Amino acid sequence: MLTRRASEQSIIRKHEEALHQGYQRWPTLDFGLPPAMGDDRWPAELILATWFQAETGRPPANGLEYRVGRSGGGFDALDFRFLPPEQQLAASEPVDTVIPLNRRPGDRAIEIPIPWYGGGMSFGSVSEQIMLARAKAAREWRTFTSTGEGGYPESLVPYRDHVITQIATGMFGVREETIQWAPIVEFKYAQGAKPGLGGHLLGDKATVAVARMRESVPWVSLFSPFPFHSVYSVEDHKKHIDWVRTINPDALVSVKVSTPTDIDMVAVGSYYAGAHIIHIDGGYGGTGAAPEIAKKNIAMPIELALPRVHRFLAQEGIRDEVVIMASGGIRTANDIAKAIALGADGCVLGTTELVALGCTRCGNCERGRGCPFGLTTTDPELSQLVDPDWGAERLSRLYASFQAQLRDILRRLGLRSVRELRGRADLLVYRKPGDPDEQADSIGSG
Amino acid sequence: MVADRQPRYRRYRIEIRPAPDLVRLPPRFRVEVKKHRLISLVLKELIHYRANLPVVLSRPCVYGVFSRPIGGLAPKEELCVGCLRCTVQYPEVVQIYPNPERERLGDSYLGPACVDTLLYEARTGHVPVRGAGYRGPFGGAGWDGMWTDMSEIVRPTRDGIHGREFISTAVDIGEKPALLAFDEQGQPVGTLPKVITLQVPFLFDRPPPSARSRRLLEILTRAAREIDTLAMVPIDLAIRFELAGPSVVPVVGEETWRWLGQLNWLPRMIALEGWDRERVAELRRRLPESIHCARVPMESDVLELLRQGARVVHLTADYHGRRNGRFVMDLIRQAHQRLVDAGVREEVTLIGSGGIVMAEHVPKAIICGLDAVALDTALWVALQARFAGECRDPETALVSFPRLEPAWGVQRLKNLAASWRDQLLEVLGAMGLREVRRLRGELGRCMWQAELEREAFAEVAGYCADA
Repeated sequence: MLTRRASEQSIIRKHEEALHQGYQRWPTLDFGLPPAMGDDRWPAELILATWFQAETGRPPANGLEYRVGRSGGGFDALDFRFLPPEQQLAASEPVDTVIPLNRRPGDRAIEIPIPWYGGGMSFGSVSEQIMLARAKAAREWRTFTSTGEGGYPESLVPYRDHVITQIATGMFGVREETIQWAPIVEFKYAQGAKPGLGGHLLGDKATVAVARMRESVPWVSLFSPFPFHSVYSVEDHKKHIDWVRTINPDALVSVKVSTPTDIDMVAVGSYYAGAHIIHIDGGYGGTGAAPEIAKKNIAMPIELALPRVHRFLAQEGIRDEVVIMASGGIRTANDIAKAIALGADGCVLGTTELVALGCTRCGNCERGRGCPFGLTTTDPELSQLVDPDWGAERLSRLYASFQAQLRDILRRLGLRSVRELRGRADLLVYRKPGDPDEQADSIGSG
Repeated sequence: MVADRQPRYRRYRIEIRPAPDLVRLPPRFRVEVKKHRLISLVLKELIHYRANLPVVLSRPCVYGVFSRPIGGLAPKEELCVGCLRCTVQYPEVVQIYPNPERERLGDSYLGPACVDTLLYEARTGHVPVRGAGYRGPFGGAGWDGMWTDMSEIVRPTRDGIHGREFISTAVDIGEKPALLAFDEQGQPVGTLPKVITLQVPFLFDRPPPSARSRRLLEILTRAAREIDTLAMVPIDLAIRFELAGPSVVPVVGEETWRWLGQLNWLPRMIALEGWDRERVAELRRRLPESIHCARVPMESDVLELLRQGARVVHLTADYHGRRNGRFVMDLIRQAHQRLVDAGVREEVTLIGSGGIVMAEHVPKAIICGLDAVALDTALWVALQARFAGECRDPETALVSFPRLEPAWGVQRLKNLAASWRDQLLEVLGAMGLREVRRLRGELGRCMWQAELEREAFAEVAGYCADA
């Protein structure tokens, strides 16, 4: 028995080591680009460049494209209008990347030193090891990660000052203490990958441990209903927020919504209901299982929703009283900066973190035992392929690279703080795909 | 005491059953293993792990590609899902390539990814579900430049999709006068509504001349009957192959007009190629109880057709969704809007075909203004048809089928219809609509890429609305 277990451990270690070597070797381009890797949103180069950043803490200098994908629109068609070199800030000048997560007077002031935090990925959709890696990285960077809708594993409790508790329509794993622990509580009304459809955990991933956490039945598919059955109006929504604030008066409240045509009205309603953060999740992101029809066709991409919300809140005179966090297709430091220029305060990362941890975006998260890289799986053997400390280091190095790139962008735009970039769409330039100047003037060129 | 009578209500559902592909597809990926390097790796590991065979022989693939006794020396390519774990771990030993044979499936409009999706739907009847977000282009021409809306908090909910509430996908095809008139006794006078209610907003269009085999037409009509929709069949073939019944719509044209006299059963609907007042009058005289449908090019003036008496109009485009250089999306909107502006939209049923090849195209076409769509190439791909070159012109397209087995073919089409209906329910549920009839022409519940970009990038230098 002991020998068998030792063998199993040896097998896991063998593959873990080989994978780690692979994550280092592929970005060197010694083997070229993997021919079957990547897609328009995440071309192979971007995946390898993210691996490189997670490995080294800096962007690649061997020509790997690390700023944009090739989707032909949105962030991939936007670039920055940098100042002439003589007007840019010197490299020695400090540039501030801090953003506040609350702008309402009287409530708890929380700032994060980088304008992003980790998005909700539930226990069940990802392994506990992944949740732990993200929480460790969040603590190191004094930012946050989110539980997603799958409960709050005990192992996360030591990191609770950096963990957002998500309450979604299925209320899976939501307990009074998990709300009391949380500095931020996130209501998930909808998510970009499946707007208007609710969450979906396939039966194969609802293991005994996952079911226990969610207080459900093992091996039975779990659908989060859509929408909250207790919310049919902004007034009902306020009731939700009051309920959380009664349980935890210090908590900030984030409201995660998707991007319908009236997203501006949704944002205003959320603000008046008392939300501190409006988290807008565009249609092109998402890490979990989603019907293909929903991913591509329902609700608008984040790039098009942000300016609408930003302008409308500004017209209403409340833009400086609420924080907008953007997600749903934020892949790179460039994307973060562009989202902020389009009107967000900061961004929420999901897929990017998984890619840093080794995701190849093969899309087989829901097949059989789950992710073969040990990321989006609850398989006891596969999930051991990711050691939480190793994962946290990779995420930390990715964050470091992103922060350095963001500072560089700000310097070249002549801005001393990321907060000055918010809503500065005039600092962007639209380049038609195929334009010879495309991204030519961006950071890292030359 | 009298026992309750058995309720007659039967909730509509399409029975799905696995219907595996008849023709084996080329695998999605090619697995190229450098055998000498693999042997060298195994030898190295034998030493490193001190001949601990379970460790040495443990393979990176969790899908069984290397599960033969000789592992990577003879990979099972058909099991490869392209996760790339093997090549990530051992880049010098194994490479995974997209299979170029697979890339050749379909044509320039209905590409290999569409073929994959359609085959999955026809095989399983399920909604395609995948992880890791969207992976395609940002937007694009045609249907890709349009997104449907969702609602954060309204009912009906997703529960509707899973059985606790009901979302209707039924549509009415037929003649509907704007107003009913009544005589002094309160009895209706004048034209009365004459409609067929279909449980799904899609019909089956007739196949191109190159593929009008008896067996295919039998499959189409039988599947249409079991789904409770309609299949269009050239009248001469309907008569020769003895295809009759409530789901068969004979299509009659100039060349086949003479066959009309041999039609010995009463179709619920009959379609006329083109618009010809005399022929329409003749159809009305001979088949007064049937619904008469005019099959005309998509750019036709539907208002003028209405004035001349048409009440059901089938707007047609080529299989790539084009007519005279314009895409069907614009042409449908134009036709719908013209009728709305004239205040007569409710009096006409608009059916459209051409370029509707994926599940999402159905709600999008309905939003643009159709009452129902007629499916073409997607059906044939579900039956594992192959196109010879571009499958574009309905008269000359060359489509070949494998040897079709009727029960298999019917099940494939039922599976496809079930999957598309479920996807339609997802879209309706996300919007908070209880019935697909309410989706027609709801342009306020969709978003156009061009309009959103114009608004979002107004302050962005270099953005040109016409770009």
